[in-house]
Amino acid sequence: MREKLEQYQAYLFLIPGLFFLLLFTYLPILWSTWLSFNRWNLLSPKPKFVGMENFVNLWHHDVFWLVMKNSFIFVTVSIFPTMFLALVFAILIDERMKGRVYYIYSFFYPTLIPMAAAAMLWVYIYSPNLGILNVLLAELGFPKLGWLGSSDTSLWALIIMTFWKNLGFFMLIYLSGLQNVSRELYEAAYMDGAGWWKRHVAITFPLVGPTSLFVLVTAIILTFRVFDQIHLMTEGGPGNSSNVIVYYIYENGFKFFDWGKATSLTTILVLILLTLTLIIFGIFGKRITYSAD
Amino acid sequence: MEEKKYEVVLKIFMLQIGAVLMILPFVWLISTALKSPSEVFTQSLSLIPEKFMWTNFVDIMDQAPFWLYMGNTIIVCVGILVIQLLLVIPAAYAFARLDFPGKDVLFLLFVIQIMLPLESIIIPNYLITKKLGLLNTRTGLILPFVASGFGTFMLRQTFKQIPASLEDAALMDGAGHIRFIWHVIIPLSRPTIVTFSMISIATHWNDYFWPLIITDVDRVRTLTIGLGMFVQQESGSDWSLLMAATLFVCSPIIAFFLATQRTFIKNFLTSGIKG
Repeated sequence: MREKLEQYQAYLFLIPGLFFLLLFTYLPILWSTWLSFNRWNLLSPKPKFVGMENFVNLWHHDVFWLVMKNSFIFVTVSIFPTMFLALVFAILIDERMKGRVYYIYSFFYPTLIPMAAAAMLWVYIYSPNLGILNVLLAELGFPKLGWLGSSDTSLWALIIMTFWKNLGFFMLIYLSGLQNVSRELYEAAYMDGAGWWKRHVAITFPLVGPTSLFVLVTAIILTFRVFDQIHLMTEGGPGNSSNVIVYYIYENGFKFFDWGKATSLTTILVLILLTLTLIIFGIFGKRITYSAD
Repeated sequence: MEEKKYEVVLKIFMLQIGAVLMILPFVWLISTALKSPSEVFTQSLSLIPEKFMWTNFVDIMDQAPFWLYMGNTIIVCVGILVIQLLLVIPAAYAFARLDFPGKDVLFLLFVIQIMLPLESIIIPNYLITKKLGLLNTRTGLILPFVASGFGTFMLRQTFKQIPASLEDAALMDGAGHIRFIWHVIIPLSRPTIVTFSMISIATHWNDYFWPLIITDVDRVRTLTIGLGMFVQQESGSDWSLLMAATLFVCSPIIAFFLATQRTFIKNFLTSGIKG
């Protein structure tokens, strides 16, 4: 009797959250998947089932592959160097009690400010004539760079800016993870004559494994969804050199009104994200979900 | 453990270099926001303005309704957070402490959502919001974010750690689950709830993509979109005003976190975000 009552109560507790979860996550995915098999653009204003047409078109479209390449570069290059440096700075801050809050905030504040504001600031920093980077380069006698305006540098300029924005967030998560590592381990390693770097390679790096996993998941989500800075800084250009998947979806949907293509791209992105989820959970799932059991 | 002197010096040096590089852009932002347009054009690297132009902040208010945008942003952030807490706390409680058929599958649905942010499914969400007649409304800005897989996951981990003996005692006394949540679970999980709330506020204060596509009138626009529109209107010519507007958009959230830094840092470092 009590068991039944508890079950009812559990469902009551879940229904409100579940309702919105279905309405704004799972229903959209199903609908979008259906639409991705339809032609629906300015020329055919009503969705019409065309099978794989949208996907075949994408496959033969150079811009699609450029966008996929850019997204891949963006994700991998922003994630791993940021994670590494975030861990190094977290260790340095962890060992330094003096001025701790000052250091935490100097690294962490970019995470707090809106990406839109950070983007405006960096447009200024990168601006060809007045930007601090080019003024500095000129002072030092180097040629000025095009930064956002050149297809050789635009993607990298965005990656650098994103690195600055995310570093402190990852650093703070690592710092939180480091609180669980026992000081005695370092003492013991020190007694054995291990230097600073060796102590951390042997002790810290393995012990922050679970934290790294959490950082990795967060980083994947953060970098796959990049949009704000691209919309405000380069609009994917010049010549699609800094176009990535979410911006490309936006462009097809809200600029070219090709909803069929935009939803096929959505389907591809969702598949990529779900595959990554499966891989991550497949390898580490038990540990993440049940760690507090 | 004795640290060698050169090690200490090297570590402080690295930290200082890192911190200065991170802060420099913001110092430059403040400095430009306070310069006159003509001084910005001299390409000087000086960080202290010749003359402090506090009027820049008055000028931006004349050109765009930034106070209105701020009001909208506050309504949206608070709205999202309140509904999130109302949905997340009971859900996390059910997953942490109750038994029912389908628990694992339902929990998976919540967790997978963490990997599928709104930005990745923006097109169908736009179509649904349009069908619901919520374009250009604050409700439309709030509702898609209220079911939080991240929050559910985070609170569940914390709720699980509360000893079962407390629950037995409370239920023996005839308290229902809701009273138990209110009087025991929430007070004991305060650090995690506060941390989640702060992350939620910071995240949604910064939202840009969603308000960009579902609003096209000033009445409901938020700060970030206001800033984006201001840039287009200024067409990037007057950097001191643009930086003044940028600074205005950043300052509330920075002030909020500086005011609560002790709580935030302490809670963040000790609470459950460790995977």
